[in-house]
Amino acid sequence: MSRPEQIGTGVPAVSLQVSASAPATQAALGGRSNPFLLMPITLFFLLLSFDVLRAPTLITSAGIGSAIIVATPLVLATYALMAVVIAGRGTVDLSVGPLIGFINVTMIQLHGAGVLNNPFAVIGYAVFIGALYQFLFALIVIYVRVQPIIVSLSGYLAMSGINLVILPRPGGMAPDWMASWGLGTTIFSPVLLILLLASLAWILFTQTAFYTHLRLMGSDERAAYTSGVPIYLVRIGAHLISGCYAGLASICFTALISSGDPSQGTTYTLIAVTALVLGGASLAGGRGGVFGSFLGAVNLYLITYGLATFSFGSVQSFVTSLAYGTILVLSLLLTLLIPFIQRHVRNFSPLLYFVVLSVVALGVILHAGYDYDTAASAAQALAAHPLPPIDPGRLYVGPLEVSAPSAAEAALRSVAAPIVSGLLLLVVLAVFLRVAITHSGRRSIAPAVAVVVVATVLLGAFMIRHPEGFGAAAPAAEEGSR
Amino acid sequence: MTPPSTPQLSLPARIVGLAAGLILTAIGVIYGFVQGSSVQVVILAGIATLAAFVWGWRFVLGQFVPEPGTEGEPGELRGVWRRFRGPLIGLALILLAFLVLSLTVDGFLNVWNVLSLLILLAILVLTRTIGRHFEENRSAFIGIMVLAGLFSVGSMNIDGFASTMNIKSMLLFASFLGIASVGQTLVALLGGLDLSIPFIIGAANVGLLYLIGLGVPPWLATIIVLAVGTLLGVVNGFLSFRLQGQALIVTLGTGFAISGGVQIVTSIGTAYGGNVFGTVPAWLTNLSAMNGSTLGLPFPPTIAIWAVIALILIVGMRITLYGRYLYAVGVNRTSSKRVRISELRYWVMMYAVSGFFAAMTGSLLLGWSGGGFIGVGDQYLFLTLAAVVVGGTSLLGGQGGYGFTVIGVLVLQVLSSFLIGIGLDFQWQQFIFGLLIVPMVALYARSPHIRTQI
Repeated sequence: MSRPEQIGTGVPAVSLQVSASAPATQAALGGRSNPFLLMPITLFFLLLSFDVLRAPTLITSAGIGSAIIVATPLVLATYALMAVVIAGRGTVDLSVGPLIGFINVTMIQLHGAGVLNNPFAVIGYAVFIGALYQFLFALIVIYVRVQPIIVSLSGYLAMSGINLVILPRPGGMAPDWMASWGLGTTIFSPVLLILLLASLAWILFTQTAFYTHLRLMGSDERAAYTSGVPIYLVRIGAHLISGCYAGLASICFTALISSGDPSQGTTYTLIAVTALVLGGASLAGGRGGVFGSFLGAVNLYLITYGLATFSFGSVQSFVTSLAYGTILVLSLLLTLLIPFIQRHVRNFSPLLYFVVLSVVALGVILHAGYDYDTAASAAQALAAHPLPPIDPGRLYVGPLEVSAPSAAEAALRSVAAPIVSGLLLLVVLAVFLRVAITHSGRRSIAPAVAVVVVATVLLGAFMIRHPEGFGAAAPAAEEGSR
Repeated sequence: MTPPSTPQLSLPARIVGLAAGLILTAIGVIYGFVQGSSVQVVILAGIATLAAFVWGWRFVLGQFVPEPGTEGEPGELRGVWRRFRGPLIGLALILLAFLVLSLTVDGFLNVWNVLSLLILLAILVLTRTIGRHFEENRSAFIGIMVLAGLFSVGSMNIDGFASTMNIKSMLLFASFLGIASVGQTLVALLGGLDLSIPFIIGAANVGLLYLIGLGVPPWLATIIVLAVGTLLGVVNGFLSFRLQGQALIVTLGTGFAISGGVQIVTSIGTAYGGNVFGTVPAWLTNLSAMNGSTLGLPFPPTIAIWAVIALILIVGMRITLYGRYLYAVGVNRTSSKRVRISELRYWVMMYAVSGFFAAMTGSLLLGWSGGGFIGVGDQYLFLTLAAVVVGGTSLLGGQGGYGFTVIGVLVLQVLSSFLIGIGLDFQWQQFIFGLLIVPMVALYARSPHIRTQI
């Protein structure tokens, strides 16, 4: 008779045992939790809420679509930098911008000469040239044994020179099939596909032993060498990956501007390095991830977008520049607080933090999307007075330029908004489930409970405002906008 | 500058060397007169050849390395091949390139180009053979060799390359770059980087003219600009000291902020974003214009200022306590902390100096151009870095000095002047700069193999 009881109590007993051995497993899991993601996540949601409140058009099909189109080249350039930065030795590839420019101008010129037309040929060409350059880079670093930053400086100067020789001034035509890519009116575009595939590829890559070797080499090259990691091979591999990302970035960049532009080199180098650091990577090597880099690049886009909603007149680009520098320095200074936070919060989970903040941001988005009567008038005002043109001299702002939404886009927006927010909710739910599963083995499940409570409260608040639910909320919002 | 064991040549060997050098110089001088070059060109080229040859002779004979291809024994030949595989392949490649060029380009095969090729080969051979005997100042040696080679090749091939006017203009532009690289050198000695230099240059350039336009006396305006530049440097120093390893990006951020802020201040109420108009005082123009004069002597005072700065820095870092401590912090911060050197103090001080000299470059550039423009410093973003690197200061800290940077600046300037002389555009120059940095650095700054570091 006592056996069923034992079995019945066995479950808590097992869980107690698990929690008793929790410190060990937590220590093991500690490597996975990355406190350096704290800053980009916080900044992301702050900027997102701010931008949505300033200009709700961001959360529309057109808004997100143009955001994807504009931000993707930067995101991919940041990935390209990340792959080599993780490899260590201070490999900050200053030449990534000119490399993107080089692939861009040669592609445009070859297309103009009638050589490159086929999509596969173009993409293959871009990736091949990127990988080839980075392969040479790796060979120089390995066999000539010069500091990588000097090699990249050399590449920067050489390629920004040769780009101007190949294409003296912006011009040329991108292939016809690419023309529709850069419109940015819908969320689902080939550019998004490239971005998703690229991110997925990196995430899959992190599951391999090669990635472990790469991180080991980045943190301590001598330790890697003595423990038998083939460091030359690993370094070449990292550079090849970086080159592929640079090629993809160049394709998205070409789609964005639909032409050739030789002078974007400095711009992309500087903003990609900035994005990388904002994303929590260490320029010294060994630390960096696709999630942080993505957030870093998107944060830069959001900064420019937010500033573009103000009308500063002729000093617009200067204000952008000022805000840009200040936010960069401030967010770097805030990373100094991380050790203090780490002292009190043992097991920081960036995923959970992201979920909690995204629920809050979702509330803000819903508020901006449905509650603002002024939102529509603000959108109309924006449509009537297009955003002030950005001085082309301030080149690093150029690629982040925002298009003014038209009336058709605004209408599309009100149709798509509930779908988007519904999707976001689904994503949040999925993420929450994931968190719940990963936290099931731990002692404390309190954060997950907090998330449930917050989500329920928010959903309840929403339901009270719109008793009809999601489907009926859309026409109401549409009426409000008319 | 001498290696630990200076090879002692026997007297006959020295005489033979001197004679060979003299003969070589004489050949050059005769060719110069035959070609109808100006006397200055011939004399300068002659002196350069003689100096390079005699210097090389003194060191090359002591550690005489068997020249490839002179031995008859097949076994020896194979040994030589094994030892000098790289240089031999390089030699063959250079000769091949020369052959292809002379077959394809009309009139390429003249005596000057052959001489240039010989000088190039001599530099390469000398740096390969002698350079490795220098432990300390190899980069300076190579830099000087390259400088002498470039200068003699330039004055042989280009009319007016060695004229007073051209030398003056080369020195003037070198002074701008040199003053801008002071800060970069000092910061690099500590293991940091300062990318805010071009932005401070631009901001000082615009800000100074703006202040003068407001009616502030020019001398006061200059002092204000220099003080603000120093202050910004101090801020940079404090920020990047807390965030070491990210110094590159911190200074970039402050640079953006400074350039944006100054432009907002100066363009409020005007219609011209980024450009400021006004009159530059005569003394400032005289300071850095080509036709300026220093105490009656016909060269712009900027050159003299640069010379004084260089002298003070080179001597000061060698003999003063500040200089020695600077190196100590750069080499090993832990041990320098043990001997109670404040790292923070040196770090902030060097960034302050960097800000000061960047502001100074901006002010001097205002005198040169006569109009304020925020983008005036843009080319210095990576050029200061290139000058430091080519000169031989390690970006990891602790090695190098301002003297090296002076050589680096001169090499870059002479090279750029040479490339303009043979009719290349800015973009081609940049391309060639880029291609040359890696081989030049590779001549002296190769890091050891990883298996030797364990």
